[in-house]
Amino acid sequence: MSNEVIVRVFDIVGGPLCVSAEDGQRVHDKIAPLLREGNKVALSFEQVETLISAFLNAAVGQLYGEFPEERIRELLSVRGMDADDLAVLKRVTDNAKKYFANPKAFDEAWREEMGNDEE
Amino acid sequence: MIHYLPTIHSSQDGYERLADLAKATAKLRASRLELDCSRVGFFDANMAAPLGAVLARVADRFNAVEIVNVPELVERVLRKNGFLTQFRYQPMEDANRTTIPFRRLQRSDEGLFEDYLQRHLKGKGIPSMSEGMGKVFKQKIFEVFQNAVIHSESELGIFVCGQFFPQKQKLDLTIADAGIGIRDAVRRFFGNQEIGSVPAIRWALKEGHTTKKGKQPGGLGLKFLHDFALLNKGRIHIVSRFGFYEFNAGAESLAKMAGDYPGTVVTLEVNTADTAAYRLASEVPSEDVF
Repeated sequence: MSNEVIVRVFDIVGGPLCVSAEDGQRVHDKIAPLLREGNKVALSFEQVETLISAFLNAAVGQLYGEFPEERIRELLSVRGMDADDLAVLKRVTDNAKKYFANPKAFDEAWREEMGNDEE
Repeated sequence: MIHYLPTIHSSQDGYERLADLAKATAKLRASRLELDCSRVGFFDANMAAPLGAVLARVADRFNAVEIVNVPELVERVLRKNGFLTQFRYQPMEDANRTTIPFRRLQRSDEGLFEDYLQRHLKGKGIPSMSEGMGKVFKQKIFEVFQNAVIHSESELGIFVCGQFFPQKQKLDLTIADAGIGIRDAVRRFFGNQEIGSVPAIRWALKEGHTTKKGKQPGGLGLKFLHDFALLNKGRIHIVSRFGFYEFNAGAESLAKMAGDYPGTVVTLEVNTADTAAYRLASEVPSEDVF
């Protein structure tokens, strides 16, 4: 299969509110197998009204832990997103690339900052 | 037992006093709390959210909670916003429509939270801001709500309340939980019980930092909130256990509190006089987003 598949976020979530990680996970679980099969996927945000990073981390961000960045860029596209939401998505994808490039170092970078001060 | 509540401002001192209440009632079980408000000179309406979270913990230990001797002006505010009606007071109409009511929501109630924002932010200065700003504001509030959903483990729910000040052109919205606090989430993440509240909050505020484990990146919600407050010239308070964070007029401060507020509270104060258009970054072409 090589035709572009349109994945309508509104239909998967069941409404215009894209705020929970659980709903994001459901979108991810629709996209990931399509990408794995080599399909082009157009993620449509038409009719979506509220979109936040917690949703996008689950829906899109975690793909960077499963697929090479070039493969995602080649197969995945978005449509129906306004400039504000595109800016949020860009922050999510940039953050995901950093996170998966070296998750351990990222997590441990702050160990030295810690120090107890209370019971 | 009887506990005398003092004046509660939306400030570090206000949270210290709520921590005092939490400490005083920590061992109360299957008994009765009489919260005597005769010493309350002033109560910032949005502080009903963190007070509600503390009292929910008390009630959860099978205690009856009664609120008594509320001074008239304070009573009017807390009846209008629906807080006191939880404690068997009669509701009072909010004729000026400046109230953003007290609500206790479950973590799965994002749809109800959406309805709450739609219904209660209308006519509260948000329309005077640009449409883009109203949308971005709502997004940031949802980021805070989702942080509570994902991280707080607050079985007692999430507590919201606010107030609109038309003369001062500001709007306060507070989201509180009765959960584990940022400190314990960070302690668990690092496997280190020595981490204090202040460094835990400082860590959590950094972009990309998240205590979520597994395949999902995160750590953007608080950063987005911060960016919004910077552009809007608004204010943020984050209180979690012994930590108090303030972002105001572009400056950040973190302080250790004397008391332990049992949970996490985020207050966003929006400058409703601001009509600037909001973009988190320069426009991103959709083909460059991945």
